Amino acid sequence: MALTASDVTIHFGGVVAVNGMALDVMPGEIVGLIGPNGAGKTTFINCLSGTYRPNTGTALWQGDELIGLSPSALLRKGVARTFQNVASLHDLTVLDIAKLGAGVRRDRRTGGHLLDFFRSDRALEELLMESILAPLELNDVAHKPIQTLSYGRRKAVDLARALAGDPQLLLLDEPVAGLTSHEGMAMAAAVRDVRDRHGCAVIMVEHKMDVVMSTCDRVAVMAAGSKIFEGRPAEVQADPEVRRVYLGEP
Amino acid sequence: MILVLQLAVAGLATGSVYALIAIGVVLIYKCSGVVNFAQGAYAMVGAYVSYVLLSAGLPPILGVIFSMAVLAALGTLTERLVLRPMLKAQLVAVMMVTLGLLIVSRAACLIIWGPDQIAFPKVFPEGSISAAGIFITYNYIAAGILALVLSLGFLAFYQFTPIGLQQRCAADNTRAALAIGIHVSNQVSLAWAMSAALAGLAGTLLATLNGLSLDLAGIGMIAFPVIVVGGLSSLVGALIAGLLLGVLQSFTDGLLTPALEDFLRAHTSIYSVGALQQVVPYALLVAMLLLRPQGLFGRRGTERV
Amino acid sequence: MSTRHIAIAIGVAVVMAVLAVVLGRYGAYLVNAVAIAAIGALSLNLLIGYCGQISFAQGALLGVGAYTAGNLGNAGLDGAVAILGAGVLGALVSALIGLPAMRLRGLYFAIATLAAQAILEYLFKILDPLTNGVSGLVIKPPSIFGIPMTSDESLVLPSLVLLVIAWLVVSRLLRTDLGRAFLVVRESEIVAKGMGIDVGHTKLWAFLIGGFIAGMAGALIGFANRLASPEAFTLDLSADYIAMIIIGGLGTWPGPIIGAAFVVLLPEVIQRVGEAAGISDILSALRELAFGLLIILFLIFEPRGLTALLSRIKLRRIGVVPPAGLRATGEGSQSPEGRSR
Repeated sequence: MALTASDVTIHFGGVVAVNGMALDVMPGEIVGLIGPNGAGKTTFINCLSGTYRPNTGTALWQGDELIGLSPSALLRKGVARTFQNVASLHDLTVLDIAKLGAGVRRDRRTGGHLLDFFRSDRALEELLMESILAPLELNDVAHKPIQTLSYGRRKAVDLARALAGDPQLLLLDEPVAGLTSHEGMAMAAAVRDVRDRHGCAVIMVEHKMDVVMSTCDRVAVMAAGSKIFEGRPAEVQADPEVRRVYLGEP
Repeated sequence: MILVLQLAVAGLATGSVYALIAIGVVLIYKCSGVVNFAQGAYAMVGAYVSYVLLSAGLPPILGVIFSMAVLAALGTLTERLVLRPMLKAQLVAVMMVTLGLLIVSRAACLIIWGPDQIAFPKVFPEGSISAAGIFITYNYIAAGILALVLSLGFLAFYQFTPIGLQQRCAADNTRAALAIGIHVSNQVSLAWAMSAALAGLAGTLLATLNGLSLDLAGIGMIAFPVIVVGGLSSLVGALIAGLLLGVLQSFTDGLLTPALEDFLRAHTSIYSVGALQQVVPYALLVAMLLLRPQGLFGRRGTERV
Repeated sequence: MSTRHIAIAIGVAVVMAVLAVVLGRYGAYLVNAVAIAAIGALSLNLLIGYCGQISFAQGALLGVGAYTAGNLGNAGLDGAVAILGAGVLGALVSALIGLPAMRLRGLYFAIATLAAQAILEYLFKILDPLTNGVSGLVIKPPSIFGIPMTSDESLVLPSLVLLVIAWLVVSRLLRTDLGRAFLVVRESEIVAKGMGIDVGHTKLWAFLIGGFIAGMAGALIGFANRLASPEAFTLDLSADYIAMIIIGGLGTWPGPIIGAAFVVLLPEVIQRVGEAAGISDILSALRELAFGLLIILFLIFEPRGLTALLSRIKLRRIGVVPPAGLRATGEGSQSPEGRSR
């Protein structure tokens, strides 16, 4: 078992956003996390990625506890995430962002910055271009400021940043939302491709059902902060409870 | 004990003037998100305008009211001409432009009135009260009470009148205010007008105490410790913190400094601690920011921009 | 740092050196003043322009450098050692000023630096044994690597060398992970944290490096003026430096140098014009007035500074219309660090 999260609960004031959530993910598996708005999907991801600290719960990753670690510590353990909304970062190019992603795994509290100063980036650049940017079709824009890219490509840059850290657990927060259907399909293919090449475990929060159905090996359905169903994509579509809660059927 | 009382009264008097300045800074910040370094400039210009009007023979009350009106116009003008075009500028640029305003007004006053201190026309009666061993001039008492009454009056105005309500609404949530038909940009101009007028009055009062000079512009800087201690968006906080810092400065000057200097002279080669009372507010500012950044009366969360 | 950057930096320094030689004593004085201001502006641009930490304490930080170098030099140490010492103390004091930034952001931190400026100014006045109080510390002409620096002409070389080094170090820095982290922290601390950047650590480095450069610039100011006094390192000086980096172009590569030249030379030009017009008695006030007005006009009409202005003129001349939003520095980079409304 790669990731075993159990009993994750977080409340904000009186609102229980995630309530006793549990989820297991195997290496090389893509698990979709779906559910209506406000079900707590992103909040759950935020708990796993160190953005929020849940009130209770554990998340064991290869035997280590993830809960309570900062995003930078998590990245060093191989847990990376992407964001729903891509930040606008002036002055930074696509390649810069990828380099930042690659850099976070290095611990440099001990004067590593001084070494960086004299180190050439050339080798790293070539590696990133070839192994990260090329598969995401970002090669031709590698030296452009990300501000000049379309929303869809910026999301690809965010994924590239996460991948550059060579993660073993990848948390994707709505990677396809806001993209055109063509971009969405390309992104979904990229996620599968990443899994195939890196063998990492993926948790993917997503609303677009066609993408979820075609990409994920397993799907967990959340409603009101808890998991109400888990199974293969086809089973999810057939389950009456899921259809009632999520698809709005009677 | 008598010394303590005396210092407290003097401190409250200057503190009331600080409050007037700080209330203006908070008012502008609440309404337009601008931290105004030029508040001291308004105080200085207000004092010079009052000086011109009073020297021309206007009765003090009329002179001060006219000078506040001139400052209100100046405040509106600043907002319309300088701050409004910078609505989308970065924080540092906005802070810098108000510093630019301070530099320009200081230079303008220097060109018009010269660098020397000018004796301010008598506004309050001469003499002093001495009761229960406390000795304090009418000047101080009158200025302090006037500043305090006006501060309280302004807070009441802001809290209880329809204009105050519109002001609070515009400051609280720009979009919501627009949605219910409040002309927000007029409210912002009004906030600048009122702040400038209050600062102009504060400057005039200070000039009656200490004389008229370009140094009056420096009073604007005291607003920063005051508003941080009070809470950046709390007008009541500005009033109370203003009084508090006035008293603190007065005690520092009258009690702490002599004691400290005696100690230092006895044990070290340092013989003076200089103007300790000027730096104490800033030490308090730093302590406050680290321990309770929302200030005494601010709300948590919303303030840590 | 590219070869182009190296070439331009050295080219600028050579041109300045030639000007200093050709224009004689007064020219050397001006070149020296511009070079020193440019070093100080580079340091502040690193902090404000690249890392987004607004500091109003640059004036006092330069003062720390001047006093430190003055004391070390007066004690008989070589000028180069004194300059390095000033850099080290500058870095330490700067880190101390930056400490509140671990907890505070944006406006709140800016106000905290205001307090730091006030407190340092006060310390300059009362720490008599080190600063000689309000009358100021007289600094003996130093010898740098054994060469006596008795005039502005002799100081031009060390100033220009330090300028080139500082300029290139800053531009190289931006091509490292730390430099990239500065830029992300500037745009949004929340994003930076999510990307795994240690925000506090990143800011601390910005203060250390910026402070080191500022300390060295302060040392040169002390050596040039032969005096370090409290009234030389006030909030007004901080304002001058912020004006430099804004007028030059916040967060741009040539901005600090262009801005420093502008802010140092403008009063000189006004002085000459004023003397020619025979109004020398109110000149200093007029100079202040023009300076303040120019800052205001710049901020309103060209918030991206001279660098943007120059590049636009250049692009227009060769018929290229700059694409909207492309590499906009300054304008539009509205972020959580910006104003709340």
